[in-house]
Amino acid sequence: MKKIISLTGGLLISLTALASETPPLLDVELQHDTATLRQGADVVLNVCAGCHSLHYLKYRDLLEVGFTQAEVDGLRGQLEVTATIAAMSPPDMLKETYGVVPPDLSLIAKARKGGGRYVYTLFNSFYQRPDGTVDNHLFPNIRMPDVLGVASMTDPAQKKEFQESMRKVAAFLEWAADPNAAERRGMGVYVLIYLFIITLLFWLMKRRIWSDVH
Amino acid sequence: MSKHPVVQWIDRRFPFTAFFKHELTEYKVPRNLSYWWNFGFLAGFVLVLQVVSGVFLAMHYKPDAQLAFASIEHIMRDVNYGWLLRYMHSTGASAFFVVIYIHMARTLYYGSFRAPRELMWWSGQVLLLTLMATAFMGYLLPWGQMSYWGAQVITNLFRATPFIGDQVVVWLRGDFVVGDATLNRFFVLHFFFPFLIFGIVGLHLVALHFVRSSNPSGINLKDEDNISLHPYFTFKDLFGLGIFLLIFCGFVFFYPDFFIEPDNNIPADPLKTPPHITPEWYFLPFYAILRAIPDMLGGVVAMTLSILVFAAMPYLDRSQIPGGSRYRPFYRAMFWAFVVDLSVLTYVGAQPATDEMALVGRIATIIYFSLFMVLPIISKREEAWLFVRGLPQEVMAMIAGEKESDRRKRSMDRRKTERRQGEE
Ligand code: HEC
Ligand code: HEM
Repeated sequence: MKKIISLTGGLLISLTALASETPPLLDVELQHDTATLRQGADVVLNVCAGCHSLHYLKYRDLLEVGFTQAEVDGLRGQLEVTATIAAMSPPDMLKETYGVVPPDLSLIAKARKGGGRYVYTLFNSFYQRPDGTVDNHLFPNIRMPDVLGVASMTDPAQKKEFQESMRKVAAFLEWAADPNAAERRGMGVYVLIYLFIITLLFWLMKRRIWSDVH
Repeated sequence: MSKHPVVQWIDRRFPFTAFFKHELTEYKVPRNLSYWWNFGFLAGFVLVLQVVSGVFLAMHYKPDAQLAFASIEHIMRDVNYGWLLRYMHSTGASAFFVVIYIHMARTLYYGSFRAPRELMWWSGQVLLLTLMATAFMGYLLPWGQMSYWGAQVITNLFRATPFIGDQVVVWLRGDFVVGDATLNRFFVLHFFFPFLIFGIVGLHLVALHFVRSSNPSGINLKDEDNISLHPYFTFKDLFGLGIFLLIFCGFVFFYPDFFIEPDNNIPADPLKTPPHITPEWYFLPFYAILRAIPDMLGGVVAMTLSILVFAAMPYLDRSQIPGGSRYRPFYRAMFWAFVVDLSVLTYVGAQPATDEMALVGRIATIIYFSLFMVLPIISKREEAWLFVRGLPQEVMAMIAGEKESDRRKRSMDRRKTERRQGEE
């Protein structure tokens, strides 16, 4: 019996070691305060939305991350406040240029293991091959161009600035995938406190009721 | 306590108070039940939770291949507390299986599947199958990549049906591939099955109240050692419920995506197979058994057997010694070996199909079925060994008592038959 357990245990450990081959994600702390989200949104709307849609976000949702009504009106132009955020270039054209329609970004943080950390790591993984072409460690042969020029970044100050801004982008994309997360966690704290107290009461009552049984 | 006039009125026409008294407040339960006996109640609680959250989700959900995925996002983002409903429901499905698997493990460990509780065990088995069907169909509804390809792979297994395989698959899907027709019928059945489950739970409980709970000692307790359900076990169950809810809400509010595959946040795409299709964690051991057999028909048969074989337990365990693992070291060792083997299968089921994994899966599958196959022999040998080695007095007395009543019953039967034959 013990032998079986130790055998299977040993086997499992060696197998998990074999299975993990993709490079690990970078450890990065993401803040979700309104100012951060707002700055992340600016990058996403100005750069990424050139190619990517954010289909499950509506223009009015931007009010929640610190945009003013006037700014939202400026962004949406003729569209309704309830219109969803589309890519600036039409999907057909993007498909022709890149071979794929770039994936929608509003759920990307949930659709990849690691969420915001995945996005952050993806952009940090662009590098220049000896022949001058650009590739990505995390996603080899990615069809997304190195839009922020990460592979050719040599100045440490510039690199630091890029990483700072990418952290905000990642945080915004996490918010976009799950806009109620902050409310959920806030509520969860009270729910758990309440449950803890009521469970304690049940335990005390159970003990009292059972005191004549033992 | 004087009764309310309305209650009096009802009691003259319907056994309302009598039912409550007999089946709930004064229903007698062995006092030594451990917390492992809480899980049946918890399963009932989760069933209600799923139905309530499900009904509210269904008010906003759209069972249409073009709209389903977006309607879930609509629930998550626009419906007031829609995220709470959805996360309770998706976490609830996993919680249901956690609770049910523990409930079954308790039954196996303490041998509660044996006479006179076979019908409880078998009605439980039907509940497990119905629950699995419900969860499988529910998983298609969000119409994500995993939903779609999981349903595609699993419905495709029915192709193994001899002679009419292709027709069966089309009949199940309502189309040649999983599509709008499939989604629509899965939604209807996913809505309907929980009500079937309610009915079967009713039977399960009627049987329970007829044969009554077993207990960890395996010995029938004296009358004074049986205490009323209320307030003793109602409060014990409530405390257990509190612990369950603390863990459950921990997931719902802080790790709600723990049970949702990242791939399922990508809308279903019939043209793009995900690199690695995995079912939900609660199907993994059976999925590993399916993949362990290289032949499709063989795999399907093995997988089906791996679930149905539980039904044979009352016959496979031939020991008369009560209390399941309590007094039986070999049975106990086999129980734990089974738990370890299931964990290995769960792990293998989640991994990509490599050669090493296939080998581990095959070994674990062989162990899985061997444990059931050797049980009749081991249980009989173990019984003989334990009789020689000696068992606690109460246990021997109980076995003797059962033999006695058995003998009496049999001789009564014989006399009856003799009489009948005499009359002829
Ligand atoms: C010039 C067009 C373009 C721009 C601008 C662009 N992307 Fe992309 N992106 C693509 C394409 C094309 C793909 C598809 C890559 C593939 O599947 O090979 C992609 C894929 C992605 C992916 C998914 C990778 C995966 O795992 O499948 C993420 C995440 C992403 N982009 C994030 C961003 C972010 C964040 C920005 C803004 C900083 C951005 N993109 C700007 C074209 C673009
Ligand atoms: C017997 C208990 C039930 C189980 C085990 C169960 C299981 C599931 C599962 C696994 C999903 C997919 C979850 C996800 O990924 O989001 C789901 C979704 C769904 N279920 Fe159930 N369910 C049950 C009861 C019900 C009932 C009674 C109803 C309605 C009457 C219902 C309505 C729905 C709806 C509308 C969805 C789609 C929304 C969603 O994906 O969250 N369910 N269910």
